[in-house]
Amino acid sequence: MTTRRTLLAAGAATALATAGGLSVAAPAAAAAPATALLAADPIAHLLRRASYGPTPQSLSEAQKLGVAGWLDRQLSPAKIDDAECDAVLARLPLAGAGIATVRGALKAHSYEAFGQLGRATIARAAWSNRQLFETTVAFWANHLHVAAPSSGVWDSRGDYDAQVIRKHAFGKFADMLKASMRHPAMLTYLDNRSSTTANPNENYARELMELHTVGMGYGEEDVKAASRLLTGLTVGKDGTYAYSAAKHATGAVEILGFTHANATAAGGEAAALALADHLARHPATARRIATKLCVRFVADEAPATLVTRLAKVYLDNDTAITPVLRALFTSPEFAAAVGAKTRTPFEDLIATIRALGLGPEKSGVAALDALYNAMVNAGNAPFRWSTPDGFPDVAAAWHSPAGFLMRCNNHLNLATGWYPSQLTRPTDLLKSLVPVLPGTYGALVDALAVRLIGAKLPAGHTAAVLSVAGKLPTSPLTAADKSLAGHAPYLIALVLDSPSFQLR
Amino acid sequence: MSFVECCEKPLSRRGLLGAAALTGLAGAGLSTQMAFAAPGYTGDTLVVLSLRGGFDGLSAIVPIGDAGYYRARPGIAVPKSQVIAGDGTFGLHPAMAPLLPLWQGGKLAAVHAVGQPDPTRSHFAAMEAMENAAPGTSIRSGWLDRMLGVSGASGPLAGVSVGSARPARLLTGPAADLSMASVNALTLAGDSAKRPIAAALRSMYADAPAAQAGPALAADQALAATAGLRGTAYAPANGAAYPDTELGAALRDVARLIKAGIGLATAAVDCGDWDMHDGLGTPVKGQRMYDNLTDLSLALAAFAADLGPDGLASVTVLTISEFGRRVAENGSRGTDHGHGNAMLLLGGGVRGGRTYAKWPGLAPGALIAGDLAATTDYRSVIGEVLQKRCGLGSLSEVFPGVAPSSFGLAAART
Repeated sequence: MTTRRTLLAAGAATALATAGGLSVAAPAAAAAPATALLAADPIAHLLRRASYGPTPQSLSEAQKLGVAGWLDRQLSPAKIDDAECDAVLARLPLAGAGIATVRGALKAHSYEAFGQLGRATIARAAWSNRQLFETTVAFWANHLHVAAPSSGVWDSRGDYDAQVIRKHAFGKFADMLKASMRHPAMLTYLDNRSSTTANPNENYARELMELHTVGMGYGEEDVKAASRLLTGLTVGKDGTYAYSAAKHATGAVEILGFTHANATAAGGEAAALALADHLARHPATARRIATKLCVRFVADEAPATLVTRLAKVYLDNDTAITPVLRALFTSPEFAAAVGAKTRTPFEDLIATIRALGLGPEKSGVAALDALYNAMVNAGNAPFRWSTPDGFPDVAAAWHSPAGFLMRCNNHLNLATGWYPSQLTRPTDLLKSLVPVLPGTYGALVDALAVRLIGAKLPAGHTAAVLSVAGKLPTSPLTAADKSLAGHAPYLIALVLDSPSFQLR
Repeated sequence: MSFVECCEKPLSRRGLLGAAALTGLAGAGLSTQMAFAAPGYTGDTLVVLSLRGGFDGLSAIVPIGDAGYYRARPGIAVPKSQVIAGDGTFGLHPAMAPLLPLWQGGKLAAVHAVGQPDPTRSHFAAMEAMENAAPGTSIRSGWLDRMLGVSGASGPLAGVSVGSARPARLLTGPAADLSMASVNALTLAGDSAKRPIAAALRSMYADAPAAQAGPALAADQALAATAGLRGTAYAPANGAAYPDTELGAALRDVARLIKAGIGLATAAVDCGDWDMHDGLGTPVKGQRMYDNLTDLSLALAAFAADLGPDGLASVTVLTISEFGRRVAENGSRGTDHGHGNAMLLLGGGVRGGRTYAKWPGLAPGALIAGDLAATTDYRSVIGEVLQKRCGLGSLSEVFPGVAPSSFGLAAART
């Protein structure tokens, strides 16, 4: 007996077939492995990971320098000229401004400084030449996450970015952790500022261990002890950090192997910083940071051998980050991980801007506003993750139907120049990407893919791209083809829509 | 053929669903719509509202009869004189006033002292465990995905999360699911007969790695399934006024999808910002708990009004949260992470107007490490709903090893 369900399914299948191919083909049993979609060239691989996406300029420079030379250069960011990006940042003076400056410039609880910080972060990702620094900053900002916007940090969030994250991004983690512990943004976001001697607030104490350092493995007694030790670290009337001995709970503590007599109120701050020093150098912290760096830069499943080696490098160098980065990017595990990461919506957007050669707007920040808002809609605007664990960093957390559509919409909006319209564009985008037109449309898509992705698309994908222009790979192409200008932005967008471009 | 069979059974819910789909989407291509109902599913639309951050059930469903509560919270307890719908044992926080008619009408209930088996106080571990809901097993999917699998619901809109483009962990797993920021945001720019972008993408992703192909092809189906909705403005019924909040917008979209009759079996919606270590406060406007509960209540009340009694008869909303909060207040007029909590249930089939609980009490000796004991597994409450309202039989796949609660908190769906 035919069930109603099968009838429905059969009817649907028929209807879909006749409606012009609306049905969805099941993925082929032997889908191409992700790695096959990208070229294995180690320089391009490095730039897909250690930067927000290769450009012809960055590829040419890195090819000249080699992997080690490129890392050397990038690890001395102050020596890299960044005038183009700095000119944009000058329009966003509150992005990294000190607390007094923000307070002097804005009404209390204004969102303006948050907005400038978010836009500055987009500008740096897209246009800074200090790309390894910016990707590393993003890693640490996400690790010691303070959401923006979030309540109570309207005046201090930019200062936190400048003085905690950016200042220490290539320094020692122990120093960054201690700076965060003494910063009003962190003390506000995780409520330590209002903690009291009699009833300590546990929020910061817990996340200091669970998120910032050792990870799961602490106990509730550790939380209680740490929350007592952290009392007194607060925020003064002027909005800056203050240690209040009167608010510090004294008494001996034992926390994950750390012991302290904590005998005097005056010594409470030093005791709290000693805890930070202990936690930063804890073996569990070393493994946790090594694992997170691998997930960021190598693969969603951190290679166990690499985690072990990086954790040792971290501890051997007293929590200094640059030796760990060098070891990571020159490891065989990294070399073997071509195509093993998927771009987040933010990375997809920025890589698109870089690949297309779109520059900052001539004046103002209207385009940055638009880009920021596109990321708000995608759930991936800088710092706009509400909880203290930071954005997830694995493909499964971002692979969604609506997220896929947003990527495609951004590609077309940027390729056409519809939105935002203010970015500086090559006079002839197609010509800038493919200076010499080949003889067929198929060869044109090949050239676009090599330029935008670093490798040709599989033949079937090339044919699919060309279907938006009603062309076949063999369709002849001449400079006299009047329809080409109309087709071009669609072909460019479809190349960026391909599975290949989603990978990094 | 299937069309005829559908219309020969006008009284079955399944047939009604199909007919509604045809009516609602006429013009979008009649025959293609048959695929979009959830033909195998005949239960309530289950709306799961995740109250992120650790909802303070003790402030929402106030244990007014328990002196331990007032001892532990000298600065922020809700006075007995201020609760609404008090029954001597429990009372509702006054900010829940917009829900009072639903409570009095028997459509809204609470369950107290519920929680997870693992008393972790970590947000992130607790949320993961709550959404996986199968601790100690090798199961890695979300429980709502397993519910979909068992329910027989299918189609691109059977399992939806609204409010974010990011996938919902509750729906992680083999059953297809769709996450969307909003119905209107589900668009593909530039797609037209002249520029068949959707068709090109379909072709390009047919042989992509599964992790990429899944979302791309689901997006394609979802675009087709919602084509008829996007072109038309949505006007809530019965004067329902959704608050201008993320939750209000999300529930408005859920109501819109339900009324379109295009196969929504379950919807997951997030409602965050309950982690009130600081400034949970007294029950007055401007304090965090008061304001958050007001927003929650206004959104739920609007949702119920929009659906109307007939619509609500086939919908159950339930709230979950990773943990409750510490019984004693801290020095910041807030509370730290706790354990036992309260859930809310709203729906036409809910036996409401009361708080169900095996109340353990808040005397110091009754607390578990300072927290309300969880005497009822939250999964057993959901299990009772799944069996009575969603047509599920055994819970073994959705909640392995868990028996449904026997509160009688919902009427069996007829």
